[in-house]
Amino acid sequence: MNKLLLIAFFLFSTVCISQDVDSLMNELAQDSRPDRVIATFKSTKLVLLQTNETQKKNDLAFWVGHRFGDIGGEFGGSNTLYGLDVATDLYLGFDYGITDELTIGIGRSKFNESYNLLAKYKLLQQEEAGIPVSVTLFGQSNWITREEFQNNEFPNQSDRISHFAQIIIARKFSSSFSFMINPGFLARSQVMDPEDSENMFVLGMGGRLKLTKRFSLIADYTWVNGLGKPSNLDTKYYNPLGIGIEIETGGHVFSLNFQNAPYIIENNFIPNTQKSWEDGGVRFGFAISRNFYIGKKRP
Amino acid sequence: MHPTYRFLSFLIIILMVNVGFGQELYQTTSAELEFYSEAPIEDIKAASNKGISVINLETGAIAFQVKINTFQFEKALMQEHFNENYMESEKFPKASFKGKMQNVDISSNREQVIIIKGTLTLHGVTKEVEIPANFQLNNNQIKLNTTFVVACKDHNIKIPKLLWQNIAETIQVQLNANYQKT
Repeated sequence: MNKLLLIAFFLFSTVCISQDVDSLMNELAQDSRPDRVIATFKSTKLVLLQTNETQKKNDLAFWVGHRFGDIGGEFGGSNTLYGLDVATDLYLGFDYGITDELTIGIGRSKFNESYNLLAKYKLLQQEEAGIPVSVTLFGQSNWITREEFQNNEFPNQSDRISHFAQIIIARKFSSSFSFMINPGFLARSQVMDPEDSENMFVLGMGGRLKLTKRFSLIADYTWVNGLGKPSNLDTKYYNPLGIGIEIETGGHVFSLNFQNAPYIIENNFIPNTQKSWEDGGVRFGFAISRNFYIGKKRP
Repeated sequence: MHPTYRFLSFLIIILMVNVGFGQELYQTTSAELEFYSEAPIEDIKAASNKGISVINLETGAIAFQVKINTFQFEKALMQEHFNENYMESEKFPKASFKGKMQNVDISSNREQVIIIKGTLTLHGVTKEVEIPANFQLNNNQIKLNTTFVVACKDHNIKIPKLLWQNIAETIQVQLNANYQKT
């Protein structure tokens, strides 16, 4: 019996001693909730397309976008200083985060003197061990306000309006590489060419390669022609491709880029890109966004 | 030995074992941490109440850790930049400390000033530190609070030249923890 007691004593004492600082720390650090993956992209826009990112709650972003003229070809070259004399589109806009998930925005484009309203909603956020992708919904309506180029170009006010919706599925594969696939649908009220389609499915994709903490290579591409839009129209249309660099400095994000799309918002560039990378239709462009926090300070 | 005595001695041994080894561990999973960065353009403040810590009063050993992404900032974008650009919390998810408390008088239930010596691991860089702290053992609870300074460059946390006016080179950290006996 005494032996038994002795054994019991050692058993119990070892159990208790092994429950030391390190093992108790490990036990307390067991975390049931997986971490959310943040900052898949630095900005709510890549080159041409929207990313899955939205504004943070109470953050107001001021956007300035610019597209210059053709670098080469008939309209480029030294006569226009490789397109720098020309502005094919200018965009000014504000995006505001109502919550961390919901963003609304308003903007104005030089092209067609159009005004747009947009909304973005973060549906899912990628987790480190759990949900594999982030999913954001994007919707945008655009209203053309310019005068008619010819009589009865826009018989009704509603013919000036187009709608665009996109599902953005993004994944941060590593801290330096993120990729997204953006299926979308564009609805227009009328088209110039009767062969052209008013409504079309499109498929966008884009990626980011971070070279340093604040400096990234970005690119995106949208498959339009031959997918939702007929590819045998009299006027030749091209698929928009943009490549650029992105620099983040605290509250600013700068993007310097090259693209064949002459216009800035989806409703404009998706159906109207008539320039190609091959014949000098590429142009320089940039976007600057500045974030302002306009909420109350948390105590 | 009489069976009753056997049983009693068995009980006493178990009790002794528990008294002798089990009693001296104190733990918390809600230690409060706050840090301040004071720079010419802006003062930045962030806080977490998810610090995890264990003290072994018998040996004086203390361990502490906090997940970097539990720090809450006033501005969410700042919080994202803190995790993404400065602390790289995907690569280095935790800050931790391991050390020994010196000159603790466990017979006193008054507040006393102690020295904690150990290693602080932050942003993947480990450094020897010595931190004075206020310590109070009372009613099977330990209160520990301290303020210390961490230099960004000691832990290879780089501040771009462009932003030196926004972010301080040394960060003041304040810790407030209440430990319960396990």
